[in-house]
Amino acid sequence: MATASAINADDQVRSDLWRPLSGVSKKYVIVLAVLCAVVLWGLFAWGYQIQKGIGVAGIRRPVFWGFYLVNFVFWIGISHAGTLISAILRLTDANWRKPVTRAAEAITVFALMIGGLFPLIHLGRVWLFYWLFPYPNSRLLWPNFRSPLMWDVMAISTYLTGSVIFLYLPLIPDIAQLGQRATGWRRLYRLLSLGWTGSDREWHALERAMKLMAGTILAVAVSVHSVVAWDFAMAVAPMWHSTIFAPYFVVGAIFSGLAGLILAMTIIRKTMHLERYLTPLHFRNLSKLLLLMSLLWLYFTFAEHLTTWYGNEPKEMNVFNARVRGRFAPEFWVMIFVNFVVPFVLLGIRRLRSITTATIASVGVLIGMWLERFLIIIPTLSMPRLGAAWGKYSPSWVEISITVATFATMAALYLIFAKLFPIVSVWEFETHHVEEE
Amino acid sequence: MNGGKEAAFYLKADLQTKEAAMAAIRELKASGFNTNDLDVFSDRPVEFPPGVLDRPSHMSLFVVLGAMTFSCLIVGFVYYTQHDYPLITGGMPIFSFWSTGVVFYEITMLGAVLTTFSRFLWESGLLRRNRRIPVPAVAPGTICLRVHCRQEQLENAGQSLTRAGALKVERLAESA
Amino acid sequence: MSNEQKAEHRWGMAIDLDRCTGCQACVAACHAENNLPVSDPESAAKGRTVHWIRVDRYYEGEFPDVRVKHMPVLCQQCDEAPCEPVCPVYATYQNPEGLNVQVYNRCVGTRYCGNNCPYSVRFFNWFDPAWPEPLQLQHNPDVSIREGGVMEKCTFCIQRINRAKGDAREEGRPLKDGDLQTACVQSCPAEAMVFGDLNDKESKVSQMAHSGRATRLLEDLGTKPKVFYLQRAK
Repeated sequence: MATASAINADDQVRSDLWRPLSGVSKKYVIVLAVLCAVVLWGLFAWGYQIQKGIGVAGIRRPVFWGFYLVNFVFWIGISHAGTLISAILRLTDANWRKPVTRAAEAITVFALMIGGLFPLIHLGRVWLFYWLFPYPNSRLLWPNFRSPLMWDVMAISTYLTGSVIFLYLPLIPDIAQLGQRATGWRRLYRLLSLGWTGSDREWHALERAMKLMAGTILAVAVSVHSVVAWDFAMAVAPMWHSTIFAPYFVVGAIFSGLAGLILAMTIIRKTMHLERYLTPLHFRNLSKLLLLMSLLWLYFTFAEHLTTWYGNEPKEMNVFNARVRGRFAPEFWVMIFVNFVVPFVLLGIRRLRSITTATIASVGVLIGMWLERFLIIIPTLSMPRLGAAWGKYSPSWVEISITVATFATMAALYLIFAKLFPIVSVWEFETHHVEEE
Repeated sequence: MNGGKEAAFYLKADLQTKEAAMAAIRELKASGFNTNDLDVFSDRPVEFPPGVLDRPSHMSLFVVLGAMTFSCLIVGFVYYTQHDYPLITGGMPIFSFWSTGVVFYEITMLGAVLTTFSRFLWESGLLRRNRRIPVPAVAPGTICLRVHCRQEQLENAGQSLTRAGALKVERLAESA
Repeated sequence: MSNEQKAEHRWGMAIDLDRCTGCQACVAACHAENNLPVSDPESAAKGRTVHWIRVDRYYEGEFPDVRVKHMPVLCQQCDEAPCEPVCPVYATYQNPEGLNVQVYNRCVGTRYCGNNCPYSVRFFNWFDPAWPEPLQLQHNPDVSIREGGVMEKCTFCIQRINRAKGDAREEGRPLKDGDLQTACVQSCPAEAMVFGDLNDKESKVSQMAHSGRATRLLEDLGTKPKVFYLQRAK
């Protein structure tokens, strides 16, 4: 296993993957500072909203849910990146996934944390949010477990717990390595590694736990996005009350999560000089998966729209027509273009498949999936069953600020994570590396 | 592991390949050591074929049991609290299994997750590690075999390890 | 009040569309009675007005034979209300007298109920309400003021129902048909709206509900509303 050249290669791997942790460059500090400024602006906007009343947002009757719910569904969708790469690829023993897993799992955890904020942001009386939890109280109040919003609370809590554990477990050996010769504040690593020594008992337990977690996390992830979908599908609003919503949202989530992952990987690869570790092979495989999910997404979208159109039910046709040829047509066709046409062309034609085109396709998919959430929520709410109650929605600066701030939060959290822990799993890469020889 | 008050000695040997480690383990087992006295340290997981250094694990069973426990707990919790509190449901049934089914599912999975993590902590021995037992430093890419033996077995063990191809056999001092 | 108690009353309303002129006196009366927040043109343009009862206009025919149907739409107090199961904090439920009750203090403002109401009769307080002078002197002391972040809707003037029941109990007599009217019913100049007890077979509202012209809004959704619309005779 360990020949002289292999030992040198290990040192090279370790130094490459640990280099980003050793210090901060000026560019890093500037970028992080800008992101933090945007995050602070978003927090200010939220504080303003709490103080003045939620009316400072653009939501109105009948569009009671606007950007905040769009963002909520979007970020929970992005969180499926980790599930796909880590869980599904782990279960199928796809070894090429190894350098990519930690990046994906980190996206999951942060996207969940951000997504989980939005049910708070959109509450009318957010200071009473704790009423959603079942706690003993003297007023004999209890939450309603029947409500899909309570299902959300349970599902997201479970998924967040599971994802944090799923991220933490394979991180332990790397943290132990980092903590070995650590001084100063980095001695925290030794605490975090729980005294990992690398004994075979520990490795066995870790591998067993990861296998079980992969299966469990997959089951949880499917249920989480189904539950989020059921927030809409359980309502009798036109074009919401559709049975396709649960699988549709799960497919869409994996689709958008994959796109987020490809984008994150491209950025990491460039800025941290990890070209040897995140190779064109990875991008090729992820591109094929992205193409597959794009086709699957198109299938679900087509099935949903064909059924609605053929059924010709008047209240639903109002929403359908608004989406396809009416007020929301620009958003709809842009969504079709970036979610299907662009990935199909750029990734389907083998000659065009490259890291650059994969990134372009991914950015397009992220925009397209955000638009898809928008198009699910806003048209239906704008056109309720009684025509006299129709309304138009336009977001206010508060909603836009908070939306942009969440993207900045994701980027900032990711940057900080990449500085504290190796973004490519060192022990998994070394194992994978050796297997390849 | 350390039965009684007899002095415990730890030998460590650095091995370069998985095959050498397997040979060493076989030699030691032939000399009368059992797997509980042997520990293999490495900076990446080493896959031995079955029968060499088996560590029986009951994690799957525990996870299933943990999930079932949480499942029963949550169903009971929802059922009894909804009946205990004077809920005014306006005609909706007090306890509706299918409407609240998702909650049961999620908490069951939470049980599976938490049980996996707890069982991992137990089976790996991370949190109950005896600080006095010395841990060898592992060079990257090498496998380090630690043998726990009594005084009279020391020489025997050392010879077995050298025969198996260990580069260096050392006595490890117990930590204070 | 327990779920099992058989209620004495079952409140309902009947609206004769043949008589409704669309004058919106009911809208104004509801505002006055229930301390509804007042909007300004800017909020109205943003869809932020609150009208627990509103008059919908449906135009039929082509000029010069245009006919307008005015339809006052208020909370239908559905027996199978879609807004009830989706509230995560039980802030809305059906009371034994058939009213769909909104508990302002319990509402945390998720607004799911508003999305699930097919009649769009639920309203949200986007801000703490404020009334231009001197309207704040005109508040009804029997009705609470809702703070920002809370859903509200027509209550069938539950304060009037409770007062009438209390008066009847004190005087030792049962509640008679016509003893109590909601604000909108009371103010209708064409006497197009009738309010009463559907459990009382002799009451005017029961008789109107059994009329050949009686329909309910969006009946096929299965919400079992308790507001009966008597369609126009052709």
